[in-house]
Amino acid sequence: MPRRLSLISQALVALILCLVIYPLPARSATSQENNSNQSQNKEDQSQAADTGKPAPGGQAKVPVSSIKSAPTDEGQLATVNNAKIPSYAKVYVAPIPGGFENYIIAGLRNKKVPLTVVIDRSKAEYEISGVSDSEKAGWAKMLFIGSQNSNEQASIKISDLKTGAVIFGYSVHKTNSVRGRQSAGEACAKHIKQIVLE
Amino acid sequence: MSFKKNVVSILVLLVVAAVSTALAGEKNAPPSQKIPKGAKVFLAPIEGGYDTYLKDAIAKKKVPVEIVANRDQADYEITGTSESQKASTAKKVILGNWHSREEASITVSNIKSSEVVWAYSVHEEASTHGKKSSAEACAKHLKEAIENQ
Repeated sequence: MPRRLSLISQALVALILCLVIYPLPARSATSQENNSNQSQNKEDQSQAADTGKPAPGGQAKVPVSSIKSAPTDEGQLATVNNAKIPSYAKVYVAPIPGGFENYIIAGLRNKKVPLTVVIDRSKAEYEISGVSDSEKAGWAKMLFIGSQNSNEQASIKISDLKTGAVIFGYSVHKTNSVRGRQSAGEACAKHIKQIVLE
Repeated sequence: MSFKKNVVSILVLLVVAAVSTALAGEKNAPPSQKIPKGAKVFLAPIEGGYDTYLKDAIAKKKVPVEIVANRDQADYEITGTSESQKASTAKKVILGNWHSREEASITVSNIKSSEVVWAYSVHEEASTHGKKSSAEACAKHLKEAIENQ
């Protein structure tokens, strides 16, 4: 009987040790899987970033990857080390000149990105920061093209507040943006969704 | 003998605790994104006095929230940004359009938890009633969000 009890206790100790030790290698293996699955994407994206200048026809080359390619007037997406954000992670959107952070938050909600946006940076795990610029249509554009839509451009990055590493970057440029900054904010949100684990 | 039984029971408890911790750590819980009816809301100042338009629109659209003047008394806070561009001469002459271009984006956040519970952005290329139109659009959608949850 005592021998049986000691066997049970040994088995339980082994189980506890497994449970404590298992999460670390399992997580690193998962991230390695992601890395290997998306290494091709990374190469494609880095190539696209290198040749990121618009083609003579006015359109940038769209990289061939499993990540759904953006329309021609949108920018390039870059994930560093193919990092992913866990769903419902707490994200702080830093103030961006012109109040663009509000458009990003609205875009995140509109595109149903599974993240929790917080207004207190100390409670956040990740931070979204960036810049944006809006150029209104001038008289020449109205006269010759007949368009009153603005040109929008924005660039954002996501950094891990614990490690300080930048894990994601995205820039968008929209000529004749029908919905102005709202479109740019939604484009950013749409691409953030691609790196969020659901 | 009883000592050994105690050891085994402690180990069982440890296993249960380890399993529950491992499961809890796997995923963050989704936020409770609800604005209750009659919630006390503070409207933070927005550039261009847009908060005033928003206040009027909330009253006009009968949004079921209570606006308070003091942030300390509020459960939720509305922040945002807005931009208004009056029709230029070129727009009037070439496009024959006198209406302004309105853009606004608002965010409703829970003051206690610091979580953003709702957000909306509006863009009106030729707004007939200027800022009033965009503020009413925000209020209308806020009302829908409160009533349809």
